[in-house]
Amino acid sequence: MERKQNAQPPVVEIDHVSKRFAKVLANHEVSITLHRGEVVALLGENGAGKSTIMNILYGIYHMTSGEIRVDGVKQNITTPRDAMALGISMIQQHFSLVGAHTVTENIILGNVRGKIDYAAEEKKVQELSDRYQFGVDAKAKVGDLPVGMQQKVEIMKALYRNTRILIMDEPTAVLMPQEIDTLMEFIRSFVAQGNSVFFITHKMREVMQVADRIVIMRNGEVSGTVSKAEVQMADLARLMIGHDLEVLSRSEHDEKKEAVRLKVDHVTVERKNELPLLKDLNFEIHAGEIMGVAGVSGNGQDSLCELLYGALTPTSGTITLDGKDITHLNVAQHIALGVGYCASDRHRYGMVADMSLSENMMLKSSYLHRWDKGGWISWKSVDRYTRDKISQYSIKAPDAGVTIGSLSGGNQQKAVVAREVDMGQNFVIFDQPTRGLDLGAINYVHKTILGEREAGKSILLVSTELSEVFTLSDRIAVICEGKFMGIFRNGELTTEQIGMLMAGVPIEELPERENNAEEGGAADGLKGGQT
Amino acid sequence: MNKRGEFGRLIFWTVLAIFLGLLICYLFLPLMGVSPSLAFTTMVTGVFSDKFTMGNILIKTTPLILTGLAFSFTYKANLYNIGAQGQFYVGCMGAVAVSLRLAEKIPGPLVLILACAAAMAGGALTGFIIGFLKAKAGANEFLVSMMSTYVVIYLLQYSLGSWLQEDKHEYLKTNSIKKAVWLPKIIDGTSVSLGIVIAVIAAIVVWLILYRTTLGYRVRVTGQNIHAARLSGINPVREYMIAFAISGAIAGLAGFTEINGMQHMLLTDFESSIGSYGIGIAIMASANPIGVIFAALLFGFLQVGGTVLSHSTDAPASVIDLMLGFVMLFVLMSFFFRRRSELRAMKKQALTKEV
Repeated sequence: MERKQNAQPPVVEIDHVSKRFAKVLANHEVSITLHRGEVVALLGENGAGKSTIMNILYGIYHMTSGEIRVDGVKQNITTPRDAMALGISMIQQHFSLVGAHTVTENIILGNVRGKIDYAAEEKKVQELSDRYQFGVDAKAKVGDLPVGMQQKVEIMKALYRNTRILIMDEPTAVLMPQEIDTLMEFIRSFVAQGNSVFFITHKMREVMQVADRIVIMRNGEVSGTVSKAEVQMADLARLMIGHDLEVLSRSEHDEKKEAVRLKVDHVTVERKNELPLLKDLNFEIHAGEIMGVAGVSGNGQDSLCELLYGALTPTSGTITLDGKDITHLNVAQHIALGVGYCASDRHRYGMVADMSLSENMMLKSSYLHRWDKGGWISWKSVDRYTRDKISQYSIKAPDAGVTIGSLSGGNQQKAVVAREVDMGQNFVIFDQPTRGLDLGAINYVHKTILGEREAGKSILLVSTELSEVFTLSDRIAVICEGKFMGIFRNGELTTEQIGMLMAGVPIEELPERENNAEEGGAADGLKGGQT
Repeated sequence: MNKRGEFGRLIFWTVLAIFLGLLICYLFLPLMGVSPSLAFTTMVTGVFSDKFTMGNILIKTTPLILTGLAFSFTYKANLYNIGAQGQFYVGCMGAVAVSLRLAEKIPGPLVLILACAAAMAGGALTGFIIGFLKAKAGANEFLVSMMSTYVVIYLLQYSLGSWLQEDKHEYLKTNSIKKAVWLPKIIDGTSVSLGIVIAVIAAIVVWLILYRTTLGYRVRVTGQNIHAARLSGINPVREYMIAFAISGAIAGLAGFTEINGMQHMLLTDFESSIGSYGIGIAIMASANPIGVIFAALLFGFLQVGGTVLSHSTDAPASVIDLMLGFVMLFVLMSFFFRRRSELRAMKKQALTKEV
C-alpha cells in the first residue's frame, strides 16, 4: 500500500470537513484518506459522527466547510447520484429495498430506462451473485429473503453500478455470527480486486478482523488513526471513549436457593389465522436472577416483553408474580405491582421527547398518586426526585426542566433506566437496554442492571447483542420464531452454539456440545474493551 | 437559549407580524376608495374615544377566548376539534332553556349556576360523542366534529321553531330572558358583563388542568407520544373522550356567557363564526391557554375596529375579515421566520462545541 500511495493520489481524501446541524456540531475538521485496495474502519461510539461524515461523502448531507477529493480531484458531491457517478456507493444501516419486488427489480431500480429486458437483466444479476458466491436467487422476492440475504442484495446493487468505493454503515448489526464471517470474506475479496471500503462500526472485534487502517472518532472528531498491525484492542477502547473501561464483576448465583418470583406457565399468544407470536413458553425467574433472552431481532422478543408488561394478553397459559396471578392484568396494574420495562425503542415507547426530564420521570406513575394529591401534581417533589436521579445516575443534564429530547442518547437512556429500575421494585424487563449507546453508557447501564440483581429483583434481559447476554445473564434462553429453543446456564454453550440455536437449529442437532462447555461463552462473546 | 430571550423574541415577532398584517391590509383600502391614513385615525380614535366601544372589545373577546381554549385543549391531545361552533350552540340551548324555565321560580344566582352547568354539560356531551366515535369506531375526529356543527345547527333551528320558540311564534328565536338571570355588568357605561371574567378564569383553569394535574398530564402525553402513553398504563381511547368532553364543555361555556351575559336570547345564525375564529386564535397562541387570552383580545379589537371603520367610511363590512385574515397570515408566517432566525443564530455561534 505504501508503494501505491506514492504512485497515485488516494482514492478518497476527506480534508478538514466540518458539518454543523442546527444544534450540534456533528463533524469537526475531519480528515480521512482512503487508498486503493484498502479497508478503512471508522470506529467510534454512537453519535461520534461516523455516519455523518460518510453521508457527506455520499452526498446526503452537505458539509459546512472543508473539501473532498476523489482521485486527487476536488469534487462537489451534492446528491447520491453525484457520488454514484464517481463510483461511490453506500449501504445504509436500514436497507433501502422494495420488499414486494424481486431481487433483479431492486437492483436495476434507477439504473434502467425505457423497455426492460428482464431475462437479460436477471441473467446479469444472477452472474453477479454467482461471481461472489452470494447464493442469491435473482428471481426471489426481496421481502421473502432473510436479513442477511437482503444485505447481499444491497451489496449487489452497489456492485451492479460498478462501485469501487463501498461505504457500509454498521453492516453487521443485523447479522448472525455465521453471516458476519461471510460478509468479512466478501469485503476482503472485494478490496483484493483494487476496490476500497469504508466500514463503519462500533464493534472492535470486527475492526480487528477486517480493517487495514482504523480511524477512531470521538465527539465528531478524529481522535486517532492507526494501522491494525500496531494496535491492541485495549488501546482502541481508550481512543474511543477517552478512558479505560471498568471491568464488570458478577457474583455467582445459585438460583435453586432463591425463591421463584416470576413464573410463566405454558403461555401462548396467538391471533386468529396467524402464526403464534409466542409458543408454549415455560420459565421461571428467581429472586436476584437475570435471565437473558438471546435471539435475532424480530423473533418474538418484543411480544415477550409486552406480554410480561400486560400490553399483550396470552391466548392460553398463566403468569404469576410472587404467587399472584397477573395473566390478565393491564399495563397500569403491572406498573402498580412493581414491574419495570425498559423498551428497546425508547423514543417510541419510553419517553416523550418534547417533555421535560421531570415530566418524563413521572411518565409511568401518573396513576400511582406518588406525586399528586387528588390529581394535583406537586412538581416540586417531581423536580426534586429528578434532580436526585440526575446526580445518582450522573445524567448530563443542565436541569430537571430541560426537554429529554435535547439530551444525548446515552443520557436519555440513563434517565429511562433510572425510572424503570425505580418503578420495577420486583421485576424489571430490559429490552435491548444498550442499543445505540456508547461504551461508557453501556458500561453504566450494565452496572445498574447487575446492581438491581444484587438487590434481589428478578430481571429479564432481552438482547440481540450476544456479548451483553453473556456478560450479564445467570441463565440464557434462546428465542427463535416465538419459541424458546432451550434455557441454559451461562457458560454451558459457546457463542457458536447459541448462534446456531438462534438460527433455529434444534438443540439435538448441535455439534459437540460437551467439548466446548468449559470454555464458556463469555470469553468469546465479550467486546474487545472488556478483555 | 434562555427562556426570557425566547419570550422576548416571541413578542417581537408577533407584534411585527400584526403590524405588517395591518399595513398590508391598509394598502388595500385605496382600492375601496378609502384613504389609509384616514382609516387608521378613524379606527384608533373611533375605538378608543368612548368607553362603550372599548367595552365592546371585551364583549367580542369573551366567547373567542372560550372557543380558542376549546380548540387548544384537544390540540394538546393531538386531536382537532373543529366543532366548537356546534358545541357552543348546544351550550346556548342549555343556558337559554334553564334561564327561561327557571327564572323567577328560584333565585337568580342559582339559575345562573344551573344555566352555566347546563351549558357546559350540553357542550361536554356533544364533544364526548365525537370523542367516543373517534375512540370506539376509529372515526376521523376532524370530519365528525366538523359535521357535528351542521347537525347542531339544524337541531337549533328545529328547537327555535318548537320548544324554545318565542311566545309570539313569529321568528326563529326565543323570548328574552328575565333581567334577574342576566350576568351582572362589571363596568359602568358599557355592556361588559361578568362573562369576560369567567372566560379569563376558564383560561387559567385550563392552564392549571393541563400543566398541574395528572389528568392534563395524561392528555398531553397521549397527544405527544401515544405509544409511550399506552405503555405507561394510559388508555389513549379514554383520554380522547376526556379531552373532547372537556373541550366541548369549554365551548358550551361560551354559550352561557353569550346568552346570559350579552344577547339575553337565542336566535339562528347567532355568532356564527366564533368557532372558526377560535381555531385561528388557538393556532396563533400555539395552543397556550394564557396566550389564547391575548390572541382573542387582538381578534376582538380588530372586529370592533373593523366595524367602526365600515360605519364611518366607505369601507365594506368585509374589511374586518380582511384584517383578521392578513394578521392571521402574518402571525403564522412569523412562526416560520422566528424559527429560522433562531436556527441562524445557533449556526452563528461560530463552530463552537457544546460540552
